Amino acid sequence: MPDKIQVSAPILHNQRLQKDYYQLDLSAASIAKLAKPGQFVHVQLPELQHRILRRPFSIFNVDLDSGCLSIIYKIVGEGTEHLSKLAPGDVLDLLGPLGNGYTLFPKNRKGIIVAGGYGSAATYLLAKNAPAPPVVLIGGRSKDDILLQDDFKRLGCELKIATNDGSAGHHGMVTELLTQAIAKTSNPAVAACGPNAMLKAVSEIVEKNGIDAELSLDHAMCCGVGACFACVVKRKADTPNGWAYSRTCIDGPVFKASEIWWD
Amino acid sequence: MADLRVDLAGVTLRNPIVTASGTFGYGKEYSSLIPLERLGAITVKGVSPFPSAGNPTPRTAEVYGGMLNAIGLQNPGIDAFISHPDYLPFLRSVDCPVFVNIWGRTVEQYAEVASRLEQERKGIAALEINISCPNIKEGGIAFGTDLGQAAKVVSAVRAATSLPLITKLSPNVTRIGDFARCAVDAGSDMISLINTIPGMAIDIETRTFRIANRTGGLSGPGIKPVAVRMVYEARQAVKVPIIGMGGVRTAEDAIEFMMAGANAVGVGTAIFSNPHCLLDIIDGMDAWLDRHGIADVSSIIGVM
Repeated sequence: MPDKIQVSAPILHNQRLQKDYYQLDLSAASIAKLAKPGQFVHVQLPELQHRILRRPFSIFNVDLDSGCLSIIYKIVGEGTEHLSKLAPGDVLDLLGPLGNGYTLFPKNRKGIIVAGGYGSAATYLLAKNAPAPPVVLIGGRSKDDILLQDDFKRLGCELKIATNDGSAGHHGMVTELLTQAIAKTSNPAVAACGPNAMLKAVSEIVEKNGIDAELSLDHAMCCGVGACFACVVKRKADTPNGWAYSRTCIDGPVFKASEIWWD
Repeated sequence: MADLRVDLAGVTLRNPIVTASGTFGYGKEYSSLIPLERLGAITVKGVSPFPSAGNPTPRTAEVYGGMLNAIGLQNPGIDAFISHPDYLPFLRSVDCPVFVNIWGRTVEQYAEVASRLEQERKGIAALEINISCPNIKEGGIAFGTDLGQAAKVVSAVRAATSLPLITKLSPNVTRIGDFARCAVDAGSDMISLINTIPGMAIDIETRTFRIANRTGGLSGPGIKPVAVRMVYEARQAVKVPIIGMGGVRTAEDAIEFMMAGANAVGVGTAIFSNPHCLLDIIDGMDAWLDRHGIADVSSIIGVM
C-alpha cells in the first residue's frame, strides 16, 4: 500500500460557507482512507495552464463510508478564485495524503486546539479522532472569519472564540484564551494551526508554561513531496548558526513548537 | 511498440526520459508515486563536498507560464549522499540508471566530489557537472559563462573519474556552441541543456522581490522555444550525446527536442504540476512513433 497517491477526484459539492470561505467536497476514497489529522492534499488547478503549480490544502474532513474528502479554502488569489467557480462533476487532480500530520491527543491529557482563520480546518480531524472532545479556541479578525463552530460543537468540544474587532466572543487575541485555558487545565496537550504570528505567540505561551505544542505551518509549496526544497522553514539544529532548513511538506507541516527557529 | 532505447556514450537508457536535476529530489521522494524503473534515468539534486543550507526564503515564485526558483542547491553533502539510506544506498536498489549532479564553489571542490563518487561508483551511471546554477554566489553559473573556467572545471573532474561525464550548460551565453565544444574538448562525454534562465519578479504592492535572492532561474513551459533553439545550436557544434531540456510537459515536446538534436530529454518543472506526466510522456512517445510508423526512436534524433 503506497503512502500517497495521485488521483482524479470528481467534485461532489463546492459551496460558500461565509465571506470568502468555501468548502469543497471531493470523491477521493483512496486518499480519504489513508488520511491522518493534519495532513494535506496538493491540488492541480484545471484549465489554468499558465498557473503551473499545485496548491496545498489541509484535509478538513473525510467520510470513509462515502469516500468523500473535504477541504476548506479562502479566495486569496487567481487560483482559489478559479477553484470557487468549479461545479459538481468537474474533476480535480489530487496528490495525497501528504505531510506528517498531528500526533493524536493521548488519553491521559486534555487536548487544547488553537486555530486562526481557516486553520480550524486543519485541526478538525484531530478533534474528531481525540479520545475525549478537546477544548477548541478559534480566533479571527471578525466573526465572519470564525469557521466550523457548529462542527466542533457537534463533536462535543468546548468552544471559545476570539475576534480582533470584538464582533464575536473575546475581544482580542485567541492566544489570550490559550493562556487562560492552560491555567485551568492540568497536563494539557496543545495543537495549533494558523498564521505565523499566532503560532509564534502560541510557542511563547507554551514555553512559559513548561509544555510543548504541535504547530501546523502554512507555506507555499512546489512539489509537495520533499523533492524541491522550496517550502523550507528554520528548525533548531546542531549547526554553527543554531538552525537548519526543514521541508514543510514532508518534515512537516506539523512541527513541535520547541523545534521551530523563529527569526 | 517502438524501440525507445537510446544510447548515451555507452549508457543505455530504456527510454529517452530523464528527470532534471533539482526537480526529483534523490528519487525516493517520488518512489511511491512513480515506478522509478520505468524512467530512462534519474538525475539527482546537486551534491557538493559539504552540506549546504541553500538560500533564504521565499525561494520560489509562480510566474506566467512557469516559475522562478532560487533554492540555492541545498543538499546534505557528499558524505550523507554516499552513506544515508535515503540517497545513494536507496538509488542502488532501483533498476534505473542514476546521474549524479555535482557542484562546488571551486574547481578543486568539483574534483573532490567526483573523486569521492569514483570510489563509490556502484549504481552510478554518470556524473552531471553543474556549471550553470544561476542561484549561488560562488560556483555554478560563474563557471558556465566563462570558457576558460568551464574548461578548468570539466578537465579537473575528468582527471578525477572515469565515469561518463555530462556537462550541464547555462543558457545565459551568446554562443552556446562554443560552450558545448569547450566541454567536449575538456573531456565531457555528453552535454545537457538548458539550465534555468535568470529572471526576476517584483510584488508591486509591497515593493519587495518575490524571491529573497532577488533573482531566480525561470523554468516551465514558457522557456521551451529558447531551449529547443539552444539544443539545435549545440547539435550543430558537437557530435556527442545531448540531453535536451527546458519546459517539457508532453510527448510532443520531447519529440521536438529530439528532432532538434537531443538524444535524451529532461523533464523538470512539469513533475511538480503532474508527477504522472513522466509516464504519460514515455507512453505518449511510444504511441506517437507507432502512429508515424517509426520503429526506433533514435531515428528522429537531430533530423532538422
